[in-house]
Amino acid sequence: MGKYILLVEDNPDDVALAMRALKKNHIANEVVVARDGVEALDFLFAEGAQRDRNPSDLPEVVLLDLKLPKLHGLEVLQQIRADERTQLLPVVVLTTSSEDRDIVESYRLGANSYIRKPVDYDQFTEAIRQLGMYWLVLNQGVPNTGVPG
Amino acid sequence: MDPKRTMATSKTLRVLRWVGVPILVAAITALGTYFAARAYVLRQAEANIRDVLLSHRGFHLYIQREMIPEFYRAMEDGRIASNFYSPKVLSSSYIVRVMHGFFNEERVADGLPSIYYKMAADNPRNPVNRASPLESDLIHRFNQDRSLREVRSMVTVDGQQFLLRAVPFLENTKACLRCHGRRADAPAGLQALYSGEGGFNEREGIIRAVEIIRAPVSREIQIAAIASAAVSGGLFGLLLLFLFNTRLRGLVQSRTRALEVEIQERRHAEAAVRDLNLTLERRVAERTAQLSAVNRELDAFAYSVSHDLRAPLRAIDGFSQALQEDCGEHLDEAGKGYLDRVRAGCTRMGNLIEDLLQLSRLTRREVERREVDLSALAQESAEELKSGAPQRTATFTIAPGIKASGDPTLLRAVLDNLLGNAFKFTSTRPEARIEFGSLPQDGQTVFFVRDNGVGFDMKYADKLFGTFQRLHATEAFEGTGIGLATVQRIILRHGGRVWAQSELDRGTTFFFTL
Repeated sequence: MGKYILLVEDNPDDVALAMRALKKNHIANEVVVARDGVEALDFLFAEGAQRDRNPSDLPEVVLLDLKLPKLHGLEVLQQIRADERTQLLPVVVLTTSSEDRDIVESYRLGANSYIRKPVDYDQFTEAIRQLGMYWLVLNQGVPNTGVPG
Repeated sequence: MDPKRTMATSKTLRVLRWVGVPILVAAITALGTYFAARAYVLRQAEANIRDVLLSHRGFHLYIQREMIPEFYRAMEDGRIASNFYSPKVLSSSYIVRVMHGFFNEERVADGLPSIYYKMAADNPRNPVNRASPLESDLIHRFNQDRSLREVRSMVTVDGQQFLLRAVPFLENTKACLRCHGRRADAPAGLQALYSGEGGFNEREGIIRAVEIIRAPVSREIQIAAIASAAVSGGLFGLLLLFLFNTRLRGLVQSRTRALEVEIQERRHAEAAVRDLNLTLERRVAERTAQLSAVNRELDAFAYSVSHDLRAPLRAIDGFSQALQEDCGEHLDEAGKGYLDRVRAGCTRMGNLIEDLLQLSRLTRREVERREVDLSALAQESAEELKSGAPQRTATFTIAPGIKASGDPTLLRAVLDNLLGNAFKFTSTRPEARIEFGSLPQDGQTVFFVRDNGVGFDMKYADKLFGTFQRLHATEAFEGTGIGLATVQRIILRHGGRVWAQSELDRGTTFFFTL
């Protein structure tokens, strides 16, 4: 699997809009979608339905919604940072909320970035484009070997 | 009844009780003591004079039974001349009288009062022994009543009180008549010594004389009186003290009772206050809990709005855009226009949600007061407004150094809204002028934001600060109608006031205090 994005998002509309925005911006990388917090963690840690997956094959970036079924986004973030395999994984909180406490708590738990999903679709497309460009192209990820731990 | 008189009467009664009772008791005691002491004194005095009298009698008897017979025997033997007579050796009354004289001398020398002694007779040989009327009466009484062995009484002589004791002298016997019978039968010496008939012609069986002894008792009675006075005076004092003590004790008791009642009442009052406090504290706690619950619900609501309300809006907007892009060729101009309207609606609703969330956030936030440079905040706000609309020509005049105590984040929101409104409603003016300043009014500082914008009709002034209230059509000036509601909430939470002054087409001034 090449460079890919893990999109943790329960709203299928937002998933469709995000996919469309990526496609519009010619970002062809694969996007793995997890529809709730548990699914996201199962994927990352190769557990449950994903137990056959290679756990060292991690996405370039996780786009994480906060208001998720089963497990809240902040708890997902907490568990990602608590596990040595994923503690350096770039996580971008991509959510509708602009509540101060969400922003503060996300950074406190080790989010790399916090992006508010704009209501306006043009702005949303622009945000997705910049995210893709930055994390998939510009950003230098953690090397696969020599990960501390 | 006249209450004054009642009071006076009760006062008199109290004084009577206070003074009368002790006086009465003391008087009774005084009398009792006096008579008891007097009786004792008199008994003592009587015992004394009886001793003297008995001693004298014994002496009389010695003279009569021993001395005189011895003389007569000596005469008969011829050792003494048969015509010898001397009262100094033959008259018992003489001898005892003289002896008593010496006795009194010794008494006086010893510091004691002299005791009166007399052998009184109605028919004395020596006039010294003549009975006084009182003594004569006593002789008569003893002769009348032979069983009467003595008389004793109190007598007053020359203003002095005396205890008197009298006993009858011997009844005349044949032997007595040797000297007290007919003068011619008496010894020659006796006849030669006494002229006249005094002491002669006595009859046998008659009590010729009475022995009287009397001792002064005035001093003793005085002592008894003093003693009784002292006792009764002391008792009077004691009684007064006792009554006073009783009264004091009564007073103390009644005061104590009053104090106890007062203490009880205070305890009740304290308990009531404590109960009330507890109730109030409980109520405050309940209300606080209710408020916290409401706040938590409000938080949850706002959070939910923030997430859930905007997501579908984004979907509507996003898919409208997708529709325009992907299926644009199937739509005519009207269809495309409708999609534009859908997207404009989404934008407006997005702004509305944003403003509502801001209102909710700002009004839930704790007010953290500190000194705030309002001029600096206004300056920042103005810069942002100008950079957001570089095509506009607007002059901001911001008075420097305006400071106030308040929450900087909330006051920034106030200035953003007021300056934003001013900027918005001057957009139709070729030369927009917006001013921020302060002025003193009634001892406090009033801040103001003034513009030369379109203004509004003052008859709608009361609707100005209501949520979702708009005085202008959406087409003319965009807005959600939440900004001034937010301003008012923040100002109220600072304990201040906000109001506006406006004139159509001339401009508006917003005033506020903190």
